[in-house]
Amino acid sequence: MNIDIKHIAKLSRLHIEDEKLSKFEADMQNIVDMVEKLPDINEELNLDESNAMTLREDKAVLNKYTRQELMQNAQSVKAGCLVVPKTVE
Amino acid sequence: MNKDYEVVIGLETHAELSTESKIFCDCKNAFGLEVNSQVCPICMGMPGTLPTLNEKVVDYAIMMGHALNCSINRVCKQDRKNYFYPDLPKAYQISQDETPLCQNGYVDIMVNGEEKRIGITRIHIEEDAGKLLHSDKFEGCSLVDLNRCGVPLIEIVSEPDMRSSEEAKAYLETLKSILQYLDICDCKMQEGSIRCDVNVSVHKKGEPFGTRTEMKNVNSFSAAVRGIDFEVKRQIEVLENGGTITQETRRWDDAKGESVSMRSKEDAHDYRYFPEPDLKTIVVEQERIDNLKSLIPELPNKKIVKYVKEYGLSQKDATFIAENIEIAKLFDGCMTKNLYSAKSYTTWILGDLVAYLNETGKTLSQTNINAENLTALVEKIEKKVISNANGKKIFAIIVNEDKDIDNLIDEMGLTQVSDTSALEAIADEVLANNEKSVTDYKNGKTNALGFLVGQCMKASKGKANPGMMKEIILKKIDS
Amino acid sequence: MELFNKTAVELSSMLKNKEISSVDLTNSVFDRIEKVEGKVDAYVTLNKENALLKAQEIDAKIANGEELHPLAGIPIGIKDNISTKGLRTTCSSKMLENYVPPFNATVMDKIDNAGMVVTGKLNMDEFAMGSSTENSYFKKTKNPFDETRIPGGSSGGSAAAVAASEAIVTLGSDTGGSIRQPASYCGVVGLKPTYGTVSRFGLVAFASSLDQIGPIGKCVEDVAMLQSLICGYDKMDATSAYREYPDFKANLSSDVKGLKIGLPKEYFGDGIDEYVKVSVMNAVKELEKNGAEIREISLPSTDYALSSYYIISSAEASSNLARYDGVKYGFRAENYDNLIDMYEKTRSEGFGDEVKRRIMLGTFVLSSGFYDAYYKKAKLLQRRISAEFSESFKDIDVIATPTVPSTAFKIGENIGDPLKMYATDVCTVTINIAGLPAMSIPCGYDNAGLPIGLQLIGDKFSEQKLLNTAYAYEKLFGGFKLPTL
Repeated sequence: MNIDIKHIAKLSRLHIEDEKLSKFEADMQNIVDMVEKLPDINEELNLDESNAMTLREDKAVLNKYTRQELMQNAQSVKAGCLVVPKTVE
Repeated sequence: MNKDYEVVIGLETHAELSTESKIFCDCKNAFGLEVNSQVCPICMGMPGTLPTLNEKVVDYAIMMGHALNCSINRVCKQDRKNYFYPDLPKAYQISQDETPLCQNGYVDIMVNGEEKRIGITRIHIEEDAGKLLHSDKFEGCSLVDLNRCGVPLIEIVSEPDMRSSEEAKAYLETLKSILQYLDICDCKMQEGSIRCDVNVSVHKKGEPFGTRTEMKNVNSFSAAVRGIDFEVKRQIEVLENGGTITQETRRWDDAKGESVSMRSKEDAHDYRYFPEPDLKTIVVEQERIDNLKSLIPELPNKKIVKYVKEYGLSQKDATFIAENIEIAKLFDGCMTKNLYSAKSYTTWILGDLVAYLNETGKTLSQTNINAENLTALVEKIEKKVISNANGKKIFAIIVNEDKDIDNLIDEMGLTQVSDTSALEAIADEVLANNEKSVTDYKNGKTNALGFLVGQCMKASKGKANPGMMKEIILKKIDS
Repeated sequence: MELFNKTAVELSSMLKNKEISSVDLTNSVFDRIEKVEGKVDAYVTLNKENALLKAQEIDAKIANGEELHPLAGIPIGIKDNISTKGLRTTCSSKMLENYVPPFNATVMDKIDNAGMVVTGKLNMDEFAMGSSTENSYFKKTKNPFDETRIPGGSSGGSAAAVAASEAIVTLGSDTGGSIRQPASYCGVVGLKPTYGTVSRFGLVAFASSLDQIGPIGKCVEDVAMLQSLICGYDKMDATSAYREYPDFKANLSSDVKGLKIGLPKEYFGDGIDEYVKVSVMNAVKELEKNGAEIREISLPSTDYALSSYYIISSAEASSNLARYDGVKYGFRAENYDNLIDMYEKTRSEGFGDEVKRRIMLGTFVLSSGFYDAYYKKAKLLQRRISAEFSESFKDIDVIATPTVPSTAFKIGENIGDPLKMYATDVCTVTINIAGLPAMSIPCGYDNAGLPIGLQLIGDKFSEQKLLNTAYAYEKLFGGFKLPTL
């Protein structure tokens, strides 16, 4: 099977240099080949009722963090906001 | 519009749920606060953080499911929808793909006095994204405010059952009034608490459905109407000029009044849905589902039908009353006593009451009017204890103050005089003083009668029963 | 014996009896770090100043006669994918080189509340993806038994630090063997708990449905004690199991009479080195001599586990690692033309090749048209593998296998060949796929003196049984041997 490695890279928001493309493609192909040896299973994945989760009570907690604490790791902050290159609008 | 074509519309409506906290963390779910002030490591998508699902979100979605006659999937799960955008900090939205919480329902709407049933494909729960702020002052940048990240949403997906922008609008208004009735959404359009994506296609009558386009960024019901009308016209023009419609996502620009293709913005979307591994299965006990059903009140769309069909109201009046929960409750309260006609109440509700509310900007609950005092007032008038004009005087008082109507009538001396001998005495006096009008009436000037009755009412200081007064005058003139 | 070479159990009673102070102990460990870290390279970030402050605080409490947790005052090293408030948490990635979490992982709150002394953050394969710790952006950690060899991975720093006595105990995380495999290569004891036992809140996600934090130590008692501290239901982690846990250390028993040990033939096949097989079989025979019963079993779907593992873990990773885009935290590329360009450059410059490879594999298996053939199939196989284990555990108590097919390989030996690297996980990934608990304990040394690990696998939530078996064997074998550094 052929993998469109450039499309996958694009979807992953990764830029792979041309000289590394074939290596990545070969590695992926090896893994895909390994996967393709798996048997076919004619079953469905049903939801497991025994694996139920506990839901959280609807209660708000105020002032847990300051904006400063939360934004300290961001590369670019302006007027209390994160900054990104202009998006199409 | 070209009459050879039929229009097919389906809507995906997002409603923000009015829970106290967000869907996956305990940040406050609030609008309009300082940027990035309602966030925490979880809704900011910091490494290592995990979601916990708010039980109210599940409850509210189930209530909407009941209201839209859906079957409830008591066992379901959440899925990740993956895409990169700065307003989505985790780069995936926790939503529901394969198994929504509610599915296969319908809602009855009313268009031009006719009922129409619109299918509901599904209702699922998901998280809202943040907001991007744009300005020429930002020097080639956009700013990101994450306050809205994690605000709970339900997405209500309709079947492609609507055939005109008018139907779409009626559908949206019905959804809005139901959300308000259930008290699960603020329904503040200007704050974006209800938003929709519109799917539109056209086809020639008798032919199969055409290719549809999806229109995003529709932020008001009137914009939905404008957007649909524009898109229908555009598609018909394309087809009439021998072109074909491409399946695509378009963005509605309400200021320009046009939709623009969004193809260039992102390469083909591949959301790579898969089950959210940070959450286990959502399992809701049947008892809980049943309890939520018992909380559903009679819904406004049902009320409209009842008001029109059983009470004989116009669709306009029925809609007006039904879509305001408080007013509908007042009207229903009056009608349960089943004493007088619907009109005897709607005259007051749509007349003096609405005028008062508009004038003062108050809501009904901020006034003193309730089903008890309004029926009591109507009863006094219907039983001719007081005149309609004096009824208005009473209303003007009880709308503000908690006063007993009987006491008011006494205090103000408004008891209507229905005693024949007293009325005859008044008539004799008025007729004697207004001979010219009597002559005019006899000569065929029938409006002279109104003048004479008016003079009698004046002489009685408004207390005379106007109907009886009129009969007595007529009898006396004719005799 | 130097303090740093002792076990937590020994040190705990010395602290309690006021034979030593936590400050002495902490200084001893940092002296050791100063001496050997240049050879081992186990740490990404040291926390000496805060560690000594904590040690002083604990000493003051001991002097006051306060009742403290048995692990109070004991130095612990933390894998660098566990969020530590105010202490940078890099995942050994350029992407998070300067990231300082504003919050603690749930396990860190427990560690802090117990009064443990955090020595620093330990090296790992970038985002826990790897089997040798060679995928760290910062440094390559060396095996304390042979500095030319890898310590295993991804918790290579955590295992090497314990073996080199650069920490008394450590925390690692295990997604496909990342605690057990380096524990085996470094001759220490490592436990991968049942999925849902230890809160994942604050553990930087690699594969959410497989990741689990676990303890590494020089002996079974240390591991039991640390496991009791970190386990427990956490409402912040929806996948955490709602249940009570015993005091594992207090309940330790070395009585294996009647214990039924299963030997799955699929784990003793061609891919396993002969001396590893012999060593593991000898260990099992020792247990048999002491009253355990040995049963041969079969787990036929084992062959599919590795493929299923790579599909599921990569799929989840591709989604979990999408958040690293240079906007909210972490690295951002310097020059870019627009938003998409910024994303692509940031992610391409910030991630290493192995991370990129797994993100792309994960993106591929989830992409439109491939989901059913890959992801769904892997999930179905996962169910089948789990069912086989459940069936086995109806008749047996513990399964014994090698932890790794061979002993530690040379640095650089497998780096160009992902499949060969992935093959070192063949005995461990199945356990994550099935959500089971498993341990690695030392059971021998090869001709070069490199440690060999015995893997013990239990049914869900059977940690006590596993620890007891390991405890029994440790007494017979003699336990951890110090490397010469």
